[in-house]
Amino acid sequence: MANIAAKRIKREFKEVMKSEEVAGGAIKLELLDNSWTELQGEIAGPPDTPYEGGTFLLEIKVPETYPFNPPKIRFMTKIWHPNVSSVTGAICLDILKDQWAAALTLRTVLLSIQALLSAAEPNDPQDAVVAKQYKENPTLFALTARHWTHAYAGGPAAIRDFDAKVQRLLDMGVDEHQARVALSTYDWELERATEQLFNREE
Amino acid sequence: MGFEIKRFQGDVDEELICPICSGVLEDPLQAPACEHAFCRACITEWISRQPTCPVDRQAVTASQLRPVPRILRNLLSRLCTSCDNAPHGCNAVLKLDSLPSHLVECEFNPKRPMPCEAGCGLVIPKDELAEHNCVRELRALIATQQGKLTDYQQELAEQRLIINEHKRELALLKEFMRAMRVSNPTMRALAEQMEREEVVRWAGSLARARVTRWGGMISTPDDVLQMMIKRSLSESGCPPHIIDDLMENCHERRWPPGLSSLETRQNNRRLYEKYVCKRVPGKQAVLVLQCDNTHVDEHMMVEPGLVMIFAHGIE
Ligand SMILES: [Zn+2]
Ligand SMILES: [Zn+2]
Ligand SMILES: [Zn+2]
Ligand SMILES: [Zn+2]
Repeated sequence: MANIAAKRIKREFKEVMKSEEVAGGAIKLELLDNSWTELQGEIAGPPDTPYEGGTFLLEIKVPETYPFNPPKIRFMTKIWHPNVSSVTGAICLDILKDQWAAALTLRTVLLSIQALLSAAEPNDPQDAVVAKQYKENPTLFALTARHWTHAYAGGPAAIRDFDAKVQRLLDMGVDEHQARVALSTYDWELERATEQLFNREE
Repeated sequence: MGFEIKRFQGDVDEELICPICSGVLEDPLQAPACEHAFCRACITEWISRQPTCPVDRQAVTASQLRPVPRILRNLLSRLCTSCDNAPHGCNAVLKLDSLPSHLVECEFNPKRPMPCEAGCGLVIPKDELAEHNCVRELRALIATQQGKLTDYQQELAEQRLIINEHKRELALLKEFMRAMRVSNPTMRALAEQMEREEVVRWAGSLARARVTRWGGMISTPDDVLQMMIKRSLSESGCPPHIIDDLMENCHERRWPPGLSSLETRQNNRRLYEKYVCKRVPGKQAVLVLQCDNTHVDEHMMVEPGLVMIFAHGIE
């Protein structure tokens, strides 16, 4: 079976390279080893979303039983999204789990993940905190997602107010990512975030 | 698993590609409703994991899979491919349907069995010939054979032991029976009755034989020939108490008056036709047993019967 996996990935790699999405800069794919088992994907944040302008790296691991089992994919770039864990980058997407079909390819999978950034599924969340904010405070969610895109994915739009709050916590000696997670989790209320951060350290 | 697409000349139609392994379809099957086609091995493996079409996820079970239409099979069989052994130097270009027969005889097959010409004469896969070392191979062979030999010897020793035990028991039993026969007339009659019945039973188990050329008779067979016949008789189940007597009667010196010389034999040739002959299995020889030939004149018969060996002519 390992033989099929390598053969498939070689072909799919070529398919992605020839695709118009690569030509248009929407997705990229890079090989990390010679055995065709580890690749790095890259997707551009879709237009008209908080991820616009960002570039998101994906870790792709091809199991020996591919394509009878789906590839294992997670976000390496930190992202604020209901269906992606803000901690591990794990993705909740049906085709990567029980809805996997052997005819799906790396190209279709990358495009599906990109589509997930345009249309979140808050009712099937990977990150409950993010999903709650998405449903209860969509405006704040969009700003937070944009802020993360700027901080981690090279997105263009800085949110001054958020940056200032992160800086306040940095001045208190808090790690930058921890500060951002705490503030995002507590809807950017500095006091509650601070409280949570310092209580935890006790 | 399908054929590597690079092996084919020109472009291969997408329809002929297996969506699972991305090779050219090998022994394809299709899903019933959507008609998506896959290699048999690929779709079987997939369905063992989940009963769906790998393209559109419609429900499909293994028993619903069908052969692909003839037109698809024809398209596949007409594709031109290189040989599996192309990396080993085979330049053949073949239609897909003639590939299997070519592979059987392809001389570039690295696993093709070749006799070693350096001296040992062993037959080994071609690709192991370069690394092959006659002495090493033969030593290994000797080692395994020695192991087997030791095993056999051990087994033989054990069997000998058992046989000797049986022999002792048998001798005791025979001795006992002989004593019984001598001391008791009823037992003697019974034993003789049993022996006669045994001969009749054995005679009934043998096939009838026809002698087409009485002239081919060997009236003075040598010891080697006699041993062969005796062995065959023993294997056919000849009762042990008559086998030595029968073998004595395979030579003209023990034959009855009507057969004892060439001259009498020539005179009595028409009487031969009356003999009921049984085949000595696998041999050009017949048994003329007394129990089968009570109708024959006395001067043509002896107890317990005759063995006649021929050069040819037994059916
Ligand atoms: Zn296949
Ligand atoms: Zn289908
Ligand atoms: Zn060949
Ligand atoms: Zn040799």
